Amino acid sequence: MPLPLYYFLAITAVNVLLAWSLYLPYRVAHLHFITVANMAISGYSAAFLVMTLHVPFGWALLVGFALGALVGFIVSLFIGDAPTFAVVIVGFTFIYITRTVIENLKAVGGTMGIFGLPNIGGNPVTHRWVIIAILYGLLLVVGFLIHRFEHSRLGRAASAVFVDKDLAASLGIDIKKLGMLVQTASCTIAGGCGVLYGFIYKSFHLDFFTFALVGIAMTIIFVGGYATLWGSVVLAPILYGVPLLFPAAIQSWRIVIYGAALILVLVLKPEGFITRRFVYSIESFLSGNRKKRNTP
Amino acid sequence: MKKSLGILLAAALLFSIVGCQQPAPKEWTVPFLNSLTGAIASIGEYLEWGAERAAKEINDAGGIKGKPVKIVGVDTALDPQKGSVEMARLVKDSLVTLGPVPEPVIMAAMPIAVENGMMSITATTSLEYAQKFFPWTISWFPSTEDRLAPLVAAWGKQFPDMKKVVQFVEPYGPWPGMADAHAKGLSGLGITMLDKVEVPTDAVTFGPLVVKALNEKPDGIVFVTAADKAAKLIKELKSRGWKNMDHLLVFSSADAPELYATGAKDINGIEIYNYINPNLDSPRWNAFKQAYADAHNGQQPPSLSTNYYDAVYMIKEAIEKTGVTGSPSKLKAERKLIADYLQNVKGFHGIMFDWDMKDGIPTNKPTYIFKIEDGKKVLVQEVKG
Repeated sequence: MPLPLYYFLAITAVNVLLAWSLYLPYRVAHLHFITVANMAISGYSAAFLVMTLHVPFGWALLVGFALGALVGFIVSLFIGDAPTFAVVIVGFTFIYITRTVIENLKAVGGTMGIFGLPNIGGNPVTHRWVIIAILYGLLLVVGFLIHRFEHSRLGRAASAVFVDKDLAASLGIDIKKLGMLVQTASCTIAGGCGVLYGFIYKSFHLDFFTFALVGIAMTIIFVGGYATLWGSVVLAPILYGVPLLFPAAIQSWRIVIYGAALILVLVLKPEGFITRRFVYSIESFLSGNRKKRNTP
Repeated sequence: MKKSLGILLAAALLFSIVGCQQPAPKEWTVPFLNSLTGAIASIGEYLEWGAERAAKEINDAGGIKGKPVKIVGVDTALDPQKGSVEMARLVKDSLVTLGPVPEPVIMAAMPIAVENGMMSITATTSLEYAQKFFPWTISWFPSTEDRLAPLVAAWGKQFPDMKKVVQFVEPYGPWPGMADAHAKGLSGLGITMLDKVEVPTDAVTFGPLVVKALNEKPDGIVFVTAADKAAKLIKELKSRGWKNMDHLLVFSSADAPELYATGAKDINGIEIYNYINPNLDSPRWNAFKQAYADAHNGQQPPSLSTNYYDAVYMIKEAIEKTGVTGSPSKLKAERKLIADYLQNVKGFHGIMFDWDMKDGIPTNKPTYIFKIEDGKKVLVQEVKG
């Protein structure tokens, strides 16, 4: 596989997973930025396990997921039903706390970071295929689970909470439990995603996990479409890939182009490019085709 | 029949070999992975300016082996994601690259250069980062401890009255390690190092930090922070009655235009250390200074502006002395030739001084301590580690 293609595919997959990890809690109107901190916590922990304790990568990845889930669950006990603003504040604070803790931990390189993560499978080519296989396998599994969630009673309950919490509560929806579920799931995804992110680069640096990552994920969700998981799938490769095709002369205008696109979309298409209605129409078109094919 | 068939086959083989060899390019293209947009775009601009200045001089003098050299800026926007994809593109057919800049992008992108056996000169980072990627990069600086401990000790020796020193430290990349090296040098003089005051990367108010430092009753202060923060901290110190301005030492990474623009008259009398001496009087340096001033509204060249200038000349020397042709069919071997040469350059004529490399590390670069007077640096002393 050509190297640029590998990096494009791998980082795009990470961006989609990260966007989904924010999308999921946003279904109950929570902007849960703690996911970026979770990426760092799980990523650095996995790197420490692999580099210092010589734990195999597979186990380190599982620990990354578990750690993400654990942090997400514990925090959700306190903010599972908190207002959006409080969840945002907790997320930002958590990013600061995590950065400060890592900066002061010599065992994980402190401000210098961690270098020289090993190739999974012993050589660079196998490493790349394993990373791509895991990432896209994960995309399929997580995408399927979110799709099922959206078409379940829980998904409909989440939609009700998004629109009006009081109304949802009066319908018998346990807002806190639902919030805890989506927050924990979101942090689990982010945990694994953080491990894979560092293993793509074969190094970890605190500046891999900055607010810029929040910005990328937010742009993917809100321009792609915040009402369906497909918005992230469509926009992540475009947002990341198109600037790479820009000629050098307009590379430096990239941020301006992003900003203009974001403003235009928010003004002209506030729900983003991929709306729920658009997804329904595609689904009904496809199911119509299936029905036609099945008709004798 | 057999003989003529043999001749035909040999001719066909020879033709195919000759025919397959791609010609060497008509110019030397050197991509520069740089942060041209984003938070450190101003630094990226003058790094690139230095590299392009060198290319212009080289081209005016006939190029490298008669072919012009072209620096191609590749913006990584301080983004590891973008840096890694750009490096992945460049390793396909580049002979040698400059950058990446800065540390997060270096860590994401340099493993790709290493894996593909391509030299990429990271001329702005510390040895502690660069050496992880040897022999496919070189360090512009010797080890932080070897370099900074004697340097800061030389500053301390000027002031026998200085008994207690505190450091403001911003936790970014190699900076805490640099602060540790300062502490080692000063402790060696019997100076008591007080508790460091951490300056958050996103700090906006500096009064409380200064109060915290002054509570420790220091006689001297070292600033290991970004340039604008150092200037704001010094302003706060002055507003709280600090008098001994030369007992304030600013570290090299803060020797940037923001220090002078923000600090203005309040930084008069402070001392600062760096690796270049702007007061040097040589035709080459004077021409560089003048060209920089012309392109930057009369400003003096910042401390890192010469790094990639020298790096381009180093690449020129490597190509000329190793017989590199630039032919794509010899790419792998010629990349290795360049890397091997650069690891152990001897007597390299940099714009400021000559130096040697030993296994990728410079061995005899001087450092300087200056006093700032009316926005200009006045040399106090040259220090050799």
